[in-house]
Amino acid sequence: MAAQNKISHQVGEFQNDVFRFDIHGVKSDIVGSHPLETLCQSAKQREEEMKRRILVNTYGTAFPMKMDFDRQILSRFQRPTGAIPSSMLGLEAVTGSLEDFGFEHYLNDPRESESFRPADLHHGMEVRIGLSKGPAHPSFI
Amino acid sequence: MSNSAIDVPSRGGFSFDLCRRNDMLAKKGVNLPSFRKTGTTIVGLIFQDGVILGADTRATEGPIVCDKNCEKIHYMAPNIYCCGAGTAADTEAVTDMVSSQLQLHRYHTGRESRVVTALTLLKKHLFNYQGYVQAALVLGGVDCTGPHLHTIYPHGSTDTLPFATMGSGSLAAMAMFESKYKEGLTKDEGIQLVVDAICSGIFNDLGSGSNVDVCVITKGHKEYLRNHLLPNPRTFVNAKGYSFPKKTEVLLTKITPLRERVEVVEGGDAMEE
Repeated sequence: MAAQNKISHQVGEFQNDVFRFDIHGVKSDIVGSHPLETLCQSAKQREEEMKRRILVNTYGTAFPMKMDFDRQILSRFQRPTGAIPSSMLGLEAVTGSLEDFGFEHYLNDPRESESFRPADLHHGMEVRIGLSKGPAHPSFI
Repeated sequence: MSNSAIDVPSRGGFSFDLCRRNDMLAKKGVNLPSFRKTGTTIVGLIFQDGVILGADTRATEGPIVCDKNCEKIHYMAPNIYCCGAGTAADTEAVTDMVSSQLQLHRYHTGRESRVVTALTLLKKHLFNYQGYVQAALVLGGVDCTGPHLHTIYPHGSTDTLPFATMGSGSLAAMAMFESKYKEGLTKDEGIQLVVDAICSGIFNDLGSGSNVDVCVITKGHKEYLRNHLLPNPRTFVNAKGYSFPKKTEVLLTKITPLRERVEVVEGGDAMEE
């Protein structure tokens, strides 16, 4: 019973909470607004899946699984929410994206967008150590 | 397992926020502005010692010429250059990004970049965006395996050719190449043929015009001839100069200062324990 009362720890950004991140249009979330949008999202996944399958074929199933563990550990190593975003240096070194350079690194940074709301450190820490679920979205208050 | 999903800080890149809005507006009967036609002539050929690239310098934006002397030959690496046709912003963004990737790769490996590396990076990027990044490119360079010339189409397909043309003036330029190109051209003959091809584009294609830029790349050496030929000089300039007797009119001198919304207090309250 105790397990059900516990709020799980959360690290990083959380997207799927309606009360904190407003209601989305359901249809547009499923269908997507542009054919390219879904493609951009799936392309990276497909590439990762392919790399994984190559590793499975060459080194066996244990090797990519171990890499996945590394990746998960490193992805949870993040700064507290607040002024500075996490650099994810360890994760990028493991995935090899440290040597990549693309549009996403210098165009349309979400932190420079006009609708960006900086996250509150106090609430962020509460969410992180599992004390609360964070503040409600401004449109609900 | 739901908690093990990797949540990393979100990144920038393409934003599709406005597509939904534009869709809605189009359904309500708003006429969205149409695309502007672009036009270019870019060419490249392989001669006996290396590669020569050429481009016109007119930037076309639908019915108007928005720049009479723009640069269409972009730097990729010290031994690789790239001509761009299509949407100017896309060609510049793509070539700049790939040149940064090549620079990173050179720092990593400590070797000269190869043309196929640039080609793969470009075609992979363009194919990922399914033609929405409108860049038609002519990529040329000399590396450890000799001179290379490639054309890259906006959807990511590529060609490897001894001579190549792109843009709206490509047909006019290709006519010159097909009639005069031969293997083992000297540097002067090569430059002359490239100039002829670009001039054919300039005079026969409405989307191309103004001057001729040429870039000659040989083993360990490059020569960027900006405005190599100026076939369309300004026809009339007033010898007396132009004077504008009426100065800019001052319409308003009253200044309304903005209301201060934040009060800064030195020191402030101590933090609670």
